[in-house]
Amino acid sequence: MARYVIRRLLMALPALFGLIILTFVLSRVIPGDPAATLAGDAATPAMIAEIRAQYGLDRPIIEQAFIHVRQVLTGDFGKSIFSGRPVAEEVIQRLPATLELTFAALFIAVLLGVPLGLLAAINHNGPIDHLVRLLSVGGLALASFWLAIMLQLLFAMELDLLPLRGRVDVALGLPPRVTGFVLLDSLIAGRMDLFVNGIQHLILPAITLSLPGLATIARFTRSGVLEVLQKDFVLYAKAVGYGRFRLATIYVLRNAVTLVVTQIGLLFGALISGAVAVEAIFDWPGLGTYSVQAIISADYKALLAVTLVVGFVYAAVNVLVDVAQAVIDPRVAEDVA
Amino acid sequence: MSLHSRILRLMAGAVAAMATMFFAPASQAQQRPLVWGDTLPATLDPHAIFDVPSQFVLLNAYDGLYRYQGNPPQLIPWLAESHSTSADGLTWDFTLRAGIKFQDGSDMTAEDVVYSFRRLLGMNRAPAAAFSPVLRPENVTATGPRTIRFVLSRPYAPFLAAIPLVAIVNPRVIAPNVANNDWGAAWLAANTAGSGAYRIDPANYQTRVSMDLARFPGHFMGWSHLERPIDTVRARPVLETSTRVLALLRGEIDATDSYLPTDQVERVERNARTRVARDESMRVFILRMNNMKAPFDNRDARLCFAHAFNYQGFNEIILKGLVVRNGGPNPNNLWGNPPDLQGYNFNLDQAKQYCDRARAAGAPIGREIEIHVQSELEQTVQAAQMFQADLRKIGINLRIVTNTWAGITAATTQAQTTPDMWVHWVSTYFVDPENWIGQMYDSQFHGTWKASAWYKNDQVDELLRRARSSLDQAERDRLYQQATRLVVADSPDIWVYNTLNLRGLSRRVQGYNFSPVGSGGELRLMSLSN
Repeated sequence: MARYVIRRLLMALPALFGLIILTFVLSRVIPGDPAATLAGDAATPAMIAEIRAQYGLDRPIIEQAFIHVRQVLTGDFGKSIFSGRPVAEEVIQRLPATLELTFAALFIAVLLGVPLGLLAAINHNGPIDHLVRLLSVGGLALASFWLAIMLQLLFAMELDLLPLRGRVDVALGLPPRVTGFVLLDSLIAGRMDLFVNGIQHLILPAITLSLPGLATIARFTRSGVLEVLQKDFVLYAKAVGYGRFRLATIYVLRNAVTLVVTQIGLLFGALISGAVAVEAIFDWPGLGTYSVQAIISADYKALLAVTLVVGFVYAAVNVLVDVAQAVIDPRVAEDVA
Repeated sequence: MSLHSRILRLMAGAVAAMATMFFAPASQAQQRPLVWGDTLPATLDPHAIFDVPSQFVLLNAYDGLYRYQGNPPQLIPWLAESHSTSADGLTWDFTLRAGIKFQDGSDMTAEDVVYSFRRLLGMNRAPAAAFSPVLRPENVTATGPRTIRFVLSRPYAPFLAAIPLVAIVNPRVIAPNVANNDWGAAWLAANTAGSGAYRIDPANYQTRVSMDLARFPGHFMGWSHLERPIDTVRARPVLETSTRVLALLRGEIDATDSYLPTDQVERVERNARTRVARDESMRVFILRMNNMKAPFDNRDARLCFAHAFNYQGFNEIILKGLVVRNGGPNPNNLWGNPPDLQGYNFNLDQAKQYCDRARAAGAPIGREIEIHVQSELEQTVQAAQMFQADLRKIGINLRIVTNTWAGITAATTQAQTTPDMWVHWVSTYFVDPENWIGQMYDSQFHGTWKASAWYKNDQVDELLRRARSSLDQAERDRLYQQATRLVVADSPDIWVYNTLNLRGLSRRVQGYNFSPVGSGGELRLMSLSN
């Protein structure tokens, strides 16, 4: 298993290096002049030129690329050319908010998606199956910004059940920062009121973000379970008289879960990218809103850092998923070896 | 029990448990601080950037020698109790009020003012642009504990008008945080060193996400003007317009930005606990034309376009009459405008005649014209779409290109890269025609976004330069009026309206006092009714 994990880690390295180069190229082709933006509304061409020189933006592009790779490898993302603050600090400040939202969405997607997929499969072509399939298609087709606004109108404005925006009530304020995750930090601070308030704020954005993932997981669970139901050992289990619930949850689901775990790895990336729109609408101060501001202001340093950090997180999650698969099904590691 | 019902029951149970635990009315009334929902600047350093959001920090956490208040804005002595000017307009002396304290409790002296101006000029960022052509750092000196002298390299009449741009900072707080000769800029980006009426809490500050302010009881202007000044302010910008409006209606924020979409005005006013503050500002909406690119290097072609924009339709129907028609480059409510100035009218027959004349002179009227709009600002898109439809009626093909402010302004540094047309506003940075016609149509500013029409008229250049250097207000007024007539006759751009600033406010906010400089964000004037 250790060799398998090491092999997986080594395989991630070229991808990460490629990501460093790719993000640099992409960041330089986005429209806008960061020096002009930084100089501000009343700047003269001379001021803009001075800033361009100060940030090395006047150097040949290849030289800038080499400097960039060296800086990233030493963990130096430079300063945001817009706020003047170290980009790493800003990203670290914002990353937990995005991760908290993404994990919550993933939790909802798995919590509801797996049982729905299971129900659909064991009711193959029945009314529940049709309903779940309809929901799956809807979940994938619905635009997240539309759903977000509808949820806000219903649960915050009409029913007054949930808050509209932000991570906690303004009057309560954030808990002392330890991890940056509001829920964890609230518990660490012993503030149950903040914890509950944080959950309340998390529900609507997490549901909005989870829907496409939920639909995907339900579909994959359904097809995985349907496949397993055709296996001989299931026929045998039925023959020896196992109850349907036990059969479905212990025998069938366990064998179908490998497929779902693979999907979780892929979904994680989709959820983080989906967080851009959801964060903007729910005013969630994570990397999504940070990216939007960086794009509008052509803050390429910030964009580079966000893309790299998300890429690293995505790679790490995928390595974890691969390991989890190997733990669930040791044949996976043996096949690779 | 069947398998389905067991799984469904499990799911329903989980949902019900979550509902019991977490769904509770979320907007229970409780005493809240003022929650300000307007945009925050990218940096707190008042000498590093100058844009509309940065004025909120400048007005509340810092003070300047003079300050604009009211509408139309009046320039009133602030940190300075008075000033005097030499006859040649080169030497300006300012006297500080006595007893001014910074937020750290130290006294403000003339040396602090000198440091602030030298820091501004040394960093040479946007707020310095108004001063650097005429003021060298060594020519700002303290002539006494409370007196400061500025010696300009040439007479510059808008000098006093631009003085409020400069925040006076506390060098004793900044000095320990200077790194690599950066004037403490990296540190001050997330901290404050001012004397302003409100103190920013750096511990809770997150760039463009949150900023907490506490009232500074020792502010030199005192607080006797209010019975219950606001002690705590939480600035929480809301990114999305729809969420911002909903947050106001729901009571989660007390103020939106001052660009409330016109289609939301009625909705906000219908709500019992919110209102809309409508104030005529000094912010002109403009469709630029690149006068160095054909066909816009032809005056008839420019006049054709100027007559093809449906001013009334846009202002009255799309913007629901919540703006004021502005026919020239300066805001209507500013001096220096000819009283009888008429803007162009929408008349497609006339437009066609001008276009035919331009075409006969060889102007490539038939080529596709690009108009760049700012994707995040819906009005720029609406204006371009309406214009596109009308131009099509006279055979002109207008292509709308989605861009960003950063993208467009980067392109305006050269005539060749400046778009054929683009849409934007010119806001109030200082209250002087220099801020509008001066910097937009004097060819010495070519290469800046403000002068991106690339207009060149020697007579206008001469008039604007004379107006800039004259200290005789009546003469300046006359010169700007003359220049305005010439510019409007040449039609280098399409001036559409002067903004009516629309800010959604909670009714508990009292004393909101709009000024075009700062857009009414001066917290010191406000109180809460509960």
